[in-house]
Order: sequence, then structure tokens, then C-alpha cells
Amino acid sequence: MISFAWLIPLFPLLSFLVLILSGKKLKTVSGYLASLLTGISFIFTLGVIADLRSVTEYEATWTWLTIGTTDIQAGVWLNPLNGLMLFIVSFVSLLVHIYSLGYMGENDRRATYFAYLGLFTFAMLGLVMSPNLIQFYMFWELVGLGSFLLIGFYLYKESAKRAARKAFIMTRIGDAGLLVGLILIFWQTGSLSFTEIFQAVEQNEFAPGMVTLTAILLFIGAVGKSGQFPLHTWLPDAMEGPTPVSALIHAATMVAAGVYLVAAAYPLFLASEWALMIVAVIGAFTAIFAATIGLVQDDLKRVLAYSTVSQLGYMMLALGAGGYVAGMFHLTTHAFFKALLFLAAGSVILALRKQNIKEIAGEGRHLAITKWGFLAGTLAISGFPLLSGSFSKEAIFAALLEDGQYGLLGVALLTAFLTSVYMFRLYFMVFHGKGADKPPKSVPVSMKIPVIILAALAVISGFFATGFADWLAAEQEYAVLHHSPTWLIFLATLLSLGGIVFAYFIYVRKQMDREEWKTTFSSTYTILYHKYFIDEFYQNTIIYSTRAISYLMYYTERYVVETIAAFAAGMVKEIGKTGSRLQNGRVQTYGTVALLGLAVIVLIFVVRGGYF
Amino acid sequence: MGLLSLFVFSPIVGLVLISLLSNNSSPKIVQRYALIGGFIPLIVSWIVYFIYQRNNRLAENFSWFSYETDSRTLVIDYELELNGFRLALLLLTTLIVTLSILASVKDIKKNPKLFYQWLFILELGMLGVFASDNMFLFFFFFELTLIPMFFLIGKWGHVEREETAYKYLIYNGLGSAVLLIAIVAVFIQAGNANFEAVKDYMSTMDDQAYQIGVIVAFLVAFGVKLPIVPLHSWMVNVHVYAPPAVVMIHAGVLLKIGAYGLLQFGAGMFPETFPLLAVTLAVLGLINLLYGAFLALIQDDLRKVFAYASVSHMGIILLGIAGMNTAGYQGAIFQTISHGLISALLFYLVGVLINRTSTTNLEKLGGLWTTAPVLSGFFLAAALAGLGLPGMSGFVSEFMAFLGVFENLPVFGAIGIIGIILTAVYFLRAILNISFGKRKGKALDKMTDLRNLELLPAGVLLAFIILIGVYPDSLGQLLQITLETFVAGMGG
Repeated sequence: MISFAWLIPLFPLLSFLVLILSGKKLKTVSGYLASLLTGISFIFTLGVIADLRSVTEYEATWTWLTIGTTDIQAGVWLNPLNGLMLFIVSFVSLLVHIYSLGYMGENDRRATYFAYLGLFTFAMLGLVMSPNLIQFYMFWELVGLGSFLLIGFYLYKESAKRAARKAFIMTRIGDAGLLVGLILIFWQTGSLSFTEIFQAVEQNEFAPGMVTLTAILLFIGAVGKSGQFPLHTWLPDAMEGPTPVSALIHAATMVAAGVYLVAAAYPLFLASEWALMIVAVIGAFTAIFAATIGLVQDDLKRVLAYSTVSQLGYMMLALGAGGYVAGMFHLTTHAFFKALLFLAAGSVILALRKQNIKEIAGEGRHLAITKWGFLAGTLAISGFPLLSGSFSKEAIFAALLEDGQYGLLGVALLTAFLTSVYMFRLYFMVFHGKGADKPPKSVPVSMKIPVIILAALAVISGFFATGFADWLAAEQEYAVLHHSPTWLIFLATLLSLGGIVFAYFIYVRKQMDREEWKTTFSSTYTILYHKYFIDEFYQNTIIYSTRAISYLMYYTERYVVETIAAFAAGMVKEIGKTGSRLQNGRVQTYGTVALLGLAVIVLIFVVRGGYF
Repeated sequence: MGLLSLFVFSPIVGLVLISLLSNNSSPKIVQRYALIGGFIPLIVSWIVYFIYQRNNRLAENFSWFSYETDSRTLVIDYELELNGFRLALLLLTTLIVTLSILASVKDIKKNPKLFYQWLFILELGMLGVFASDNMFLFFFFFELTLIPMFFLIGKWGHVEREETAYKYLIYNGLGSAVLLIAIVAVFIQAGNANFEAVKDYMSTMDDQAYQIGVIVAFLVAFGVKLPIVPLHSWMVNVHVYAPPAVVMIHAGVLLKIGAYGLLQFGAGMFPETFPLLAVTLAVLGLINLLYGAFLALIQDDLRKVFAYASVSHMGIILLGIAGMNTAGYQGAIFQTISHGLISALLFYLVGVLINRTSTTNLEKLGGLWTTAPVLSGFFLAAALAGLGLPGMSGFVSEFMAFLGVFENLPVFGAIGIIGIILTAVYFLRAILNISFGKRKGKALDKMTDLRNLELLPAGVLLAFIILIGVYPDSLGQLLQITLETFVAGMGG
């Protein structure tokens, strides 16, 4: 089976090609066709994973580009880490395809939608199987394209257009870092293949400082893709896309690709303490920073978006502190429970036609399956005992403790508390209250099944922590699962439950008046509500200065370059005038003749005289 | 006459065909014959390709004239010879000319007979330029491209066509004057005009100052054509005011003569001295890249955005050359071909758009997707190709050019990377502006989408762009030998 692994991404690609080329002809069957092809990919993935239990590593490559004596390869590379990602991607993608059958069921452009989903899935599957950095980079950009197209799917909306453009450009800033990083690595090691880079790291072939520099440059790419501070601002805006897309791309897979990049290139990061430190600090800062913003946002999807940013920060933090298994495990559980939360949120939005939680005001309580599904996801992300999130978060805390990062551990614990608060604020405001009584529009079955499957995984997947660690450890010796001492487990549970209780008293029992908080801490509230004014800051610095430079060049063009042009034209005209008394206004023609004549004269002169 | 000469002069068939038509034949008939005329060089170019693939060598020469002076003999022969780079450019030329004829169908209403006559002379000139193996022959064909282009712009262009044609002529005329002087200066020294012979002569010659002087002259001459900022203002005008079908050739092929010339006359004839200009080229490349990008950012006309995008993309060619290594040269050559395809596609689409809306003003357009989803899809694809999306030719070119420049000049590379961010910004700004959002402009209401035969040029160009992007070795293999000769002569 494993030798057919290269087929896995091709089914979704086929889906893309067929649907994009057929236009509207296949509109009605587009969803089923796309789901079927993604399903085949998923089955192949399962086969490959079954093989990986005995093979542990597999590589097949072909020459893609020859530069002098260097051959750059393209192909597939499979190891436990890639296999895991392959599973997450094809699985969540399949569920999102099925869910979209209902969610996009009446959209007139759904063939295009499913085509884009196919394109994205193809790129994401290709990305996680890349044997080298250049193929990785190429698919990395292509997932960005898929994301861009789907964010801008509602292309009549100005906001969608802006969000799509912003997402593409912000992530491209990160990509530039990644590109420079991989080019520098190439000149250090003479190769872009992951295995050869790791060998070079092991044998100290890098020039001094280059390990740190290249690791940081790769991390800049990860920062862009995974919505880490300071390149996070595109991710909340990306919620303009259809909700299933948010679940697939902006929660479970693409945004996790940055984390995956750090994990895939882990030996490089391990070789540099500085690089690890930066990863950890950026991760921790992003985690708490986004959590505080999440506390006050009113849009259902945006709260989830900030929570995604925050959770991705957790994963980075774990990797930066040597918690390789912890980070990847959290990536996995997060993929389940965050996809669940988004899909459940999508059901709410579809049924109620609104997504401002103040307007929803508890109306969601009529949607039974959605409500329970959302609750399962909320409990999981809050780290409620025995649910998946509690295991993966605990692993992260343990890794931090093991690494001696007490300050960062404190930040992580505080973030865990905040996470409980804002997630239960969301849950209570959407599903508890006295909103309208009339039963809202019903949710189709195709949207319920994925929610149920993901809810089950969000609840139970935590119990597989040990097996998960063993799976990754088959190949990498740094794949160690840390365990927390009892006091830490106790503390984490306390914070998680404390957050839930806190939210309960504010948003259900209404013990404290929320409006009063806003006036007492008005400046804090304003800052949080406006997301620390980061967008405004970028607008006033980077965007304005770029425009200023543009206008500077514009005037250079207008006054300097054009003056030179006018001067040259004038000069030639003068020569033309004095040279030809017979001119009758057709200066151009004479100009041509004159120049050609000049050429001939010079030539004859040269050949005759022999000297110049 | 050998196969190569037959190929180079094959546009004459089209020229004769068109000339035989009566003066009052309908434009449709003229276009049909022009298309037949265009297909002949296209077919011959692929025959040449397959023969070259089999033999790896295709050349012909006969003595043209030689002149005895007191001490030695000066020789100018008629020499044509192919290599991979030249062949790629020749294939590009015949393809784009054919597609340009297809594109001109709705565009050229005034005196089509004359239009196509000039077009075939232009094609003849371009084929000659890329097939010559000799400086004077090159110059002869180079001059031959100047005149038809002048009339194509001046007679069939838009709004400011006459000023543009005149400006075009002045810049290019001065450029070719410099070129001629430099060629003569080399010829006098080497006593031969053949590229290979000059190269051999120069490798035995020690006068470095002289060599640098000549290279700088070539840099100026081809810098006008490429163009290098600040010699670019003519080319922006041509992009904006020439008919789109002509711009396809102008941006797709003619500007490439600048890149080709720089590599052939610089790296090809002075492999030892040329690398001394690495930093100069890198600086010029950066200026082009960033100057063009920043200006493209604030233009309010689609054609101007694409014009400055061309300026910016030419910067990548310069940066690649500045790498002075295989990766860089290969990147520059890839970018030459890739930009030819992409800008031809962009201006083909512009032509389609103007045809229907009579405007390319960004503020007057919007929501193109509502009435023309296929056209806006192609626009988006072309813009993505332009901004260097992987899987398309632009990415491979940029990647190799940057790879090349980073080996020796990492700081320049790092600054240049800003360019790839800006490229994304201006392309997306322009394309999203016209295709996304609410519909704007009355012309768009009853606009028809791309259909039937109109899809062909866009589809063919996009297919080549994707082919090179997905499997770059398809082009790369053709270039290996050329690259080796460029790099092999480099000292240390």
C-alpha cells in the first residue's frame, strides 16, 4: 500500500480539475463527487498508516529540477509524523466535505466551492508528505492559495475580498522568511532534503550562527501560517470564509502547518537553544495575548478564531520547550475539538442566520445535537478532566516543568484559566438564555454526522496519549512524553474548573453585571475589544510608509525620468531639424532613416578604415 | 539554404500571402491568411526543435564578406547556430506571434493588411536575432525589429500612440547606436564577429579596462531594451498605448532581447570579466525590482500595473545574472521565458477586456466575475503566475534567481525578497479590484465571457506556464549545455 502513497493527494486534485473545468455542469453532483474522491484518499491513508507500523520510513523521489550538478527532487516521504498529519488532514477534510453537502447545499457556486476544497486538500496532503524543503514550500504556498480562494469565496462581499487579500499577503511575509531560510540552508548543506539537512546538522556542517539564523527564518514562515504574533491579524479576518472552511483550514490543518514545520525540522531547532527559546516565547505570548482578546469579542466565529491563535501558541510553546510529543499531541486533539467547535458553530449560524453572540442570546439551545457537540468541544478545549484537551495540555505543562521554564509555565496555566472563561462565555451566551422560542430552521443530517464523530473523538482521544507517543518515538528519539506531578495536574484541573465556574456566575447566574465591568475597566476593555490596536498600528506604520515610498517613486518617475526622456527626445529632434531641411513633419520617419544611415556609415567607415 | 535559414525567413511566406490579397478584402479574410502565415513559422520551429533534440547541434554558415587591412583579415560571415537558450526563445517567439494574430482578430480593424505585413517582418527580425551566431547579423536583425514595431505602435495604437512610437524609436535608436559602437569596438579588436571566436579571443586578452568598458556599453544598449531603470519610460508607454496584441509581442518577446543580449554578449563573450559586474547588476536588479513594484502598487490603470510589473520582473533577471553561477543564470533564463509567457497571457486578457469594456481603469471596473467568470478566472490565474505561485513558471524562475544571488550576495538577495511580497500586493490589488466585489461599469452588465476560440490563446499560454512550473526540467534540460558554456569560462 505504501508504494501507492503518491496517489493520496491526486484524488483531491482530480476533484479540483474535474469540477473547475466542468463549470456549472456538475453542480448538483459536485459535492458527492468531491466527497467520494476525498474518501478514497482517506482509505489510502489508512492503508499507508497500517504499513507504517512495520516500515516506519518510506521515501520515493523523482528528479524535478536540475541546477548544474544538483538534482532537486520531488516525491513522497513517510514517517510516523507525516503519517499522523496525513491521517488528520484526510480525515478532517472528508468530514468537512460531508458537512459541506448540507452547509453549501443550496449555494449556486458550490461546484467551485468543492473544487477549491479539493485543491486545498491536495496541497495539504502534498505538504505533509514532502521529502524536502522546496516541495514543502511549494505546497505551503498552494495551501495558502486554497485558503485565499476559500476566504474570498463570497466574492461579492467587500469584506471577503479584503480578508482574502490580507490573508495572502500576511502569510506571504512569513513565507519570504521561509524562502530565505531554505535558500540559506541549501548553500550550507548543498541539499534541501530533510534527512540530508539533519545529517548536516548532526555533523556540524553549518557555519557558526547559521543554525540559529536558518531555524529562526523557518520559524518566521511558521509564524505567518500559524497566526502567531505579530503576523496573526489575518486569521480572525479569515472567518469571512464559509464556516466549514474555517474548520478545515483555519482550525485543523493549514494553520497547524506552521507547528508541523517546526516539528518536521525539529533537529535543526534542537541544535539551537536560541531558536527554541524564541519559538517558546512567541508561542507563550501569542497564547495569552489571543486569549485575552477572545474574552471580549462578540462574533461567534471570531472568538473561535482567537482561541485557535491561542491554542496554536500553546503548540509552539510546547515545541520550544522540548515537548515534541506534547506539541504534536495537542495539535491532534485540537484538530478534533476545534473542527468540532467550528462545525457546530456553522450549524448554529446556518440555522439562526446570525453569528453575533449577543443577538443569538441563547437561541442555540433548540439545536440539541449541535448543543451537545459544542459542549463536548468546549469542555475539551477548557481542559476538563478526562477529555482530550486535558491530556494534551497536561503534557505541555509537564514539558515546561521538565525544561525548567517556570515563567512560561505560569503563562500557560493562566492562559488555561482564560481559555475556560472565554469558551464558556461563548457556550453560555449561545446555548443558554431566553432568546426566541420558535424552533429555528433544522440542520440537515449530513451536518450532524461529522459533529457527532468529532464530538466522540474530542471526548476520548486523550486516552491514546501513550500509544501516540510510542508511534512518534518509533522514528525520533526526541519524541518523549512527559508526565506531570500530581500537584500540577491538580492545579491545572482547578484552573480549568475555576474558569468554568467563573463564566457560569457571570453569564448564567448574572452575579456580576457585565456592563458595569466595561465601565470600570473601560480602557482595558477598549484595548481588548480593538485587539490591542494592532491592525491600526500596521495601517499607520507599514501600509502608510509603503504608500509614501510609492508616491516618492511616482514623483521620481514623473519629474526625473520623464525629464531625461524629454531631453533625449528634444536632442534627437534638434538633430533631425538641422539635418534635414526638407522635413515635412514626419520626423519619426526621418529619425529612423537617420539612425539606420548612421549605422551604415559607421559600418562602412569601420570596414574601410580598419580603425575607430 | 539550410533549415535554419528557411526557418528564420519563413515569415516571408505569410508576408507574401498577405501581399497577394486585394486591398479591399475584408478584415476576416486577411486575418485568416495571416493565421496561416503565422502557423508556418510555428510548425517549422517545432520541426527545428525535434531535429535539434536529436542532433544537439544545428548550425549553418557561409562567408559573407571579409576585409584585408595592413595587418590582418576582418571577417564577417553569415552564421546561424542554435543552442538550448536560443531555441527556447525561438519557440516562444513563434508561439506568441501566432497567438498575437489570434488576439488581434477583434482589435485591428484599420488596414489589417498592412498590420500583418509589419507583423511578419517583425517576426522575421526576432527569429533572426535569436538564431544569429554573429554580432553583425544579430545587429542587422535587431534593427529589423525596430521599424515594424514603430509603425505597429504609431498606426494601430491607442490614445497617445504617436508620441509613444516616437519615444520608442528614440530610446531604441540610441540604444542600438550604443550597441553598434560596442560591437564595432569588439570587432576591431577580435577581428571576427562570431560569438565563439570573440569569446576565444577575449580569454587570451588581458586588457580588463577595455573589456569592462565594452561590457558597460552592452549593458546600456540592452538596458534600454530590457529595460533597466531609468531607461524604462518608453516601455511603460508602449505597454499602455500599443494595441494589446502588439504588447503581447513587445512584452513577450522583444523585451527578452535585452535579457538574451546581456547574457549572450556579456556572459557569453566575456566569461572571465563579466562577473566583475556582479554587484553593479545586483544593484540595478534591486532598483528595477523594487522601483517597479512600488510604482505598480499605486497605478490606477490595469495596463500600467502590468507595465511596472514587467519592470519589476526584469529586476529578477538582473538579480539572477548577478548571481554569476548556474542557479542564477538558469533563473534568469527561466524568468526570460516565463515572463514572456505570463505577460503575453496578461496582455491577451487585457485585450479581451478592452474589447468589451473599452477601459482598463481600475476605478471603473469591478465585479467582473458576475458576468464573465471564466475571464476573471484566467485573470486570477495569470496574476498568480505573475506573483510567482509555485506550480507555475514564475516561481521556479524566481526561486533559482534568488538561489543564485544568495550564494555570493546574500544581502542583495535578502532585500530583493521584499519584492516578492510587494508583487503579491500589487497583483492581488489590481486583479481583485476588477474581478471581485460588486459589479461596476455599464459595459460589464451585458458583457460576454471568454468563449470558444478565445479560450485557445489563454489556455495554451496557461498550459505552458503550468508545464514549466510543475516540471521545470522540461525547459531545464534544453538549457544545460548553454549554461555550462556560460559558467565554464568563469575564472575562480
